[in-house]
Amino acid sequence: MQPGPLARILTRVGVALLLIWSLGPIYWTLASAVTPTADFAARPIHFFPQNVTWVHFERLLGINVDRIGGVQVWAQFRSALFNSVITGLTSTVFCVAISALGGYAFTRLSFPGRRILFVATVATLAIPGYAVLIPLYRLMIGLHMVDTVTGITLIYISAFLPLALWLLRSVFESLPVSLEEAAQLDGAGRLVIFFQIVLPLAAPGLTAAAILTFLGAWGQYVVPLIFSPTLTKPLTVLIPEFATKNFIDYGLISAAGSIALVIPALVVIFLNRYLVSGLLAGAVK
Amino acid sequence: MTAIAAAGNEGGRPAAVSGDATLGLILVTPIVVTMVALVFFPLVQTMWDSLHRINPMQAGTPFVGAGNYIAMLSDADLQRTWVNTFLYVAIAVSAETVFGVLAAALINQVKIGRQWLLAAIVLPWALPGVVNAVIWMGIYLPGPGLLNGILTVMGFSFDNHVWFNDRASAIMAISVVHIWRMMPLTIVIVLAAMQSIPDDLYEAAVIDGATRPQLFFLITLPLVRGAIAVAMTNATVNAFNLFDEAWVLASASLDTRPVLVQIYLETFQNLHFSYGMALSLVVTAVSLLVSLVYVVRVYNTTRYD
Repeated sequence: MQPGPLARILTRVGVALLLIWSLGPIYWTLASAVTPTADFAARPIHFFPQNVTWVHFERLLGINVDRIGGVQVWAQFRSALFNSVITGLTSTVFCVAISALGGYAFTRLSFPGRRILFVATVATLAIPGYAVLIPLYRLMIGLHMVDTVTGITLIYISAFLPLALWLLRSVFESLPVSLEEAAQLDGAGRLVIFFQIVLPLAAPGLTAAAILTFLGAWGQYVVPLIFSPTLTKPLTVLIPEFATKNFIDYGLISAAGSIALVIPALVVIFLNRYLVSGLLAGAVK
Repeated sequence: MTAIAAAGNEGGRPAAVSGDATLGLILVTPIVVTMVALVFFPLVQTMWDSLHRINPMQAGTPFVGAGNYIAMLSDADLQRTWVNTFLYVAIAVSAETVFGVLAAALINQVKIGRQWLLAAIVLPWALPGVVNAVIWMGIYLPGPGLLNGILTVMGFSFDNHVWFNDRASAIMAISVVHIWRMMPLTIVIVLAAMQSIPDDLYEAAVIDGATRPQLFFLITLPLVRGAIAVAMTNATVNAFNLFDEAWVLASASLDTRPVLVQIYLETFQNLHFSYGMALSLVVTAVSLLVSLVYVVRVYNTTRYD
């Protein structure tokens, strides 16, 4: 049905409202991040920054430190940024690698306990993380792994592995068996088939699994709040600390938030297709 | 690795290669080790320890049976947090479902630039929960906040209104942040179902003289009901898991404190480890039960169609 003029106008208004709802709050944070602290006192407030400053970012990243006074935060911030990137990347690589190998085995190889192991692993998607968090804490204390990259990475792997496995197994299942059979006739072994035929074909699924794992690790708050209190503190734990009970350094916290949203925003802009497919696979589990 | 076998059996399934069992077991070992050590073992321990008194400040770990569970019944703070959590669930699930379905129907009409629109919609979901909370902090702030600024420009004197001083508006404010973050999930799930509805259904209905609202209520809505149930299940579980938004925006305030924050405080501030474990099991069970309700209801209603 061709939409009438009224329907077309309504659609445009609706789309505009949706965009304002989704992007408006993000715009406001970006605008606040470049607003000089003095301008926050202006009343009525300005909806567009009147003066643009990079001073909040310079304080966070330690650029021109001599020129700017105030509390030194850049050492903390740099280390938090580094920790977020390292734990995010490490857990993504391991999580996707482990679930790709296992997912292939669960799809194409027959071995004792295949079904029960798969179902048991995927069933944990229904169990919220906090149900295992307290024993994990005591375990990590016993292993001296609290506040280590290894400890937090292990927890992220165990948390995101079931979803990645579920996603990748359905990808492997959708690939035609005939290709693998043909390679077998040519004398290729299982692992050769996996690395040279299956993995390249499964690239979109691997991308989706990697994106979901990375964003999950990047956004985690409760887990690092408990397991990464000081040395390995990530951005998510550091940023709220800029807002204390008595004083909110609003420019600083906006700039920090803006930096933390760059990577997710890039993922959404360039890899949204994979993100949405992964989201859907995870939702209908 | 010994498991590489070259013997292809013509006409057979590739699953019949010899050595597959060994290779399969080797390949799934990392998964099994990770899951057993970091999920199954802690889960069993949570269940077992919830029947004991475990507190680093007190000697011994005596067996207390259902003691931790019985203590919940007379825990006044806990009951307030349950009320808060159910408010979050009710507000978030209904708003995400109603507006999410409407938004999905709207996006389904858009033909040009739909993937860019979708990217803009999904962005809030992709951000860390903490960043969501910080973004909305800038909106709710009493002084330079955007919300008060807009209300003031519109002629209301809201200049220094503190949204978190009043329980109702504080709960609402936190719910809005959560809805902003989670509604994209509902939109994506429902939109995917709408796109899979064949066009000829609509064309046939238009020939029969159906109007636009009729198309939506008589064709679209019934056919995406399963997807809506899936979206509602996800929304429920996510609202039960609300932590970041409440903790960053209102810290431990009892007015807004959800049960998950209560678990955190009991465990890591009061060091009532076993009480926290019992509580986390109860929250898990309740969230699974509530989301099961939708699945069963939708299953029953679609069967008779």
